[in-house]
Amino acid sequence: MTSRLRVTPRGFSGPGVRFGVPFSALVVALLLGAIILAVAGNDPIEAYRTMFDASLNGWSSMTRTLALATPLILTGLAAAVAFQMRVYNIGGEGQLYLGAIAASYVGLALPETTPMVFMLGAMLVAGATAGALWALLAAIPKAFVNADEIITTLMLNFVALSLMNWLIFGSRSFWRDPRRPVPSGKRLPENAIMPELSGRMHIGIIIAVVAAVLLWWLLQKTSWGFQIRTIGDSPRAARYAGMSVRGKTMAVLALSGALAAIAGVSEVSGVTKGLEPVALTSNIGFTGIIIAVVARSNPLGVVPVSIFLAAITTSGSRLQSIGINVQVVLLLQGLIFLTVTAGEFFVMNKVSLTGSAIAGPADDSSSPATDVAEATA
Amino acid sequence: MNDTVLILSIASAIVAATPILFAALGEIITNRSGVMNLGIEGMMLMGGVIGFWAGNGTGSLTMALIAGGFGGVFLALIHAVLAVTLRVDQTVSGLSLVIVGSGLSSFIGTSGEPSLLSARNAVEVTPLLPSALRDLPAVGPILFGHDIVVYIGVLAVIAATYVLNRTPQGLALRAVGEDPAAADAAGISVVKMRYIATAVGGFGAGVGGAYLTVAIVGTWQNGLTAGIGWIAVALVILAGWRPWLALLGALAFGGLNGLGFTLQLAQVNVPSDFLKMMPFIAAYLVVILVSASPNRARRLAAPAALAQPYSREDR
Repeated sequence: MTSRLRVTPRGFSGPGVRFGVPFSALVVALLLGAIILAVAGNDPIEAYRTMFDASLNGWSSMTRTLALATPLILTGLAAAVAFQMRVYNIGGEGQLYLGAIAASYVGLALPETTPMVFMLGAMLVAGATAGALWALLAAIPKAFVNADEIITTLMLNFVALSLMNWLIFGSRSFWRDPRRPVPSGKRLPENAIMPELSGRMHIGIIIAVVAAVLLWWLLQKTSWGFQIRTIGDSPRAARYAGMSVRGKTMAVLALSGALAAIAGVSEVSGVTKGLEPVALTSNIGFTGIIIAVVARSNPLGVVPVSIFLAAITTSGSRLQSIGINVQVVLLLQGLIFLTVTAGEFFVMNKVSLTGSAIAGPADDSSSPATDVAEATA
Repeated sequence: MNDTVLILSIASAIVAATPILFAALGEIITNRSGVMNLGIEGMMLMGGVIGFWAGNGTGSLTMALIAGGFGGVFLALIHAVLAVTLRVDQTVSGLSLVIVGSGLSSFIGTSGEPSLLSARNAVEVTPLLPSALRDLPAVGPILFGHDIVVYIGVLAVIAATYVLNRTPQGLALRAVGEDPAAADAAGISVVKMRYIATAVGGFGAGVGGAYLTVAIVGTWQNGLTAGIGWIAVALVILAGWRPWLALLGALAFGGLNGLGFTLQLAQVNVPSDFLKMMPFIAAYLVVILVSASPNRARRLAAPAALAQPYSREDR
């Protein structure tokens, strides 16, 4: 007798499934990474131990990891809030650049005697506004003519990238340091630089964690958040209930853009200390999308997932010192992305061998997969 | 302005268009079956590194392109498993291909002693046609001066148009992309079609990446494609999923590369960064315009089932 796999949609997946599957996916990704390392002739156990030591073991390693996690938390939140409404903001990358451009403008333009609190506050507001407006370039067409926001946000990334490159490499703009022969951004004055807390960790991490808690509260504890989640689950039901899907679409994408832009403010003020296109284009926006997927769009989940991914990145330089290819870092991130994406199937469906499986419920049409299809139709 | 410069910039635009064209044609086939694969950039990088490696080992352009194509197929099949069999979110899966592709290609490119980063290009790319044709004034360099791959690109456009519009397989593929349930009822295997179409798309992107690496750039660098894969994504939308328009668009985008230089000679000062924005602004506007006007949408819009997973149980 041959046994076959049987797939049954889960009507509802409990917390064990919702958190257990992504966690198992992480483990699978690390195992796959170990195999690739072994094939390339490295000792995977030594590699992982080195990575752990370099990123999470001890306070100074931890501060480096948290410094890297700061913008990731913010772009992760940006993707997560949009996912909650089943809107895709793939434009975190571009919104981050806009945040960095606007914040560095304010930091350079305001008098150097401005008290730091006002200076940083103004930079945050300017950056968030710029990011929100940039996101609205995709949100308004989405809300009014249902233009696919995946494509529009994606395309706007490259427009923003060229704009930022032009400001530093292509012109003698206000942002560019005229004294240096190599194109680079003017250095921000001291009062526009986020104070360091310990090592490279700066107050951006506090902003990021506060943003995560606020976003969780907004989504879970307010009626606005409830409406967002309802629209995400079933836009038709939400419309029958009298919710303004159009207004919410614009609001959510603007909020998402603002969060991604704050990541740009934090980077430009806390890390690069001037508009430095090369340092800012390290896939922070794209990585935020992975983070939101792994965290299942839960703002509080975004924080540990970001720290975990940042830990992998931090350990790259240490790997090099023991003769392991530093590119394994990016490879591991990609593997995690893949396995967690694949894991989504096991969250939505129950897979079992025939014979042992109980036949699926008769009303299969109420499965989550169907809802997805309807929502995107 | 010097005529020679103009002729040479047109000729170089055609060469620069070729990798974009291969990637875009592949993506059109994939999309027409209802599968969205945003991972072109990652598949091109895999094609580039594998193609460069194979080219170094064999010295053969053909081997480099075929190996590169299969490098792209490898990643595309991962996408097919995720998007078609496991029915996960195709956007997320496509983005993960970009990250995996850039990670894996950089890993392969920097592994080994000596690594591919320091390797010299062993593939020699020669013009296809005899010098009598190539030396003709103007049309010689523009039309007849290219290597075989450029001409294969044009043939691929013809072949893709023919297969999509005039063969039962092409009809089946489009049926799967427009109405998978009806196609399924007509006895077409949706899963098989989508796997094949996704693999073909990966092959196109892989060949494009390999050509870019061995024939245009001539060395391997991490992240060598530098956004060309995304231009191909934009191009497919601009072309309204039609191979001929993709050819025109690829030529236009290839031309943007050298346009800054040409414009400078013509005393027109447009920063190259603004030229680089053009394909993306154009794709952005086209998506909005197509969405806004229902009549044009009927002619230009995406395959109806694009990016929607198909499950028999959900019919």
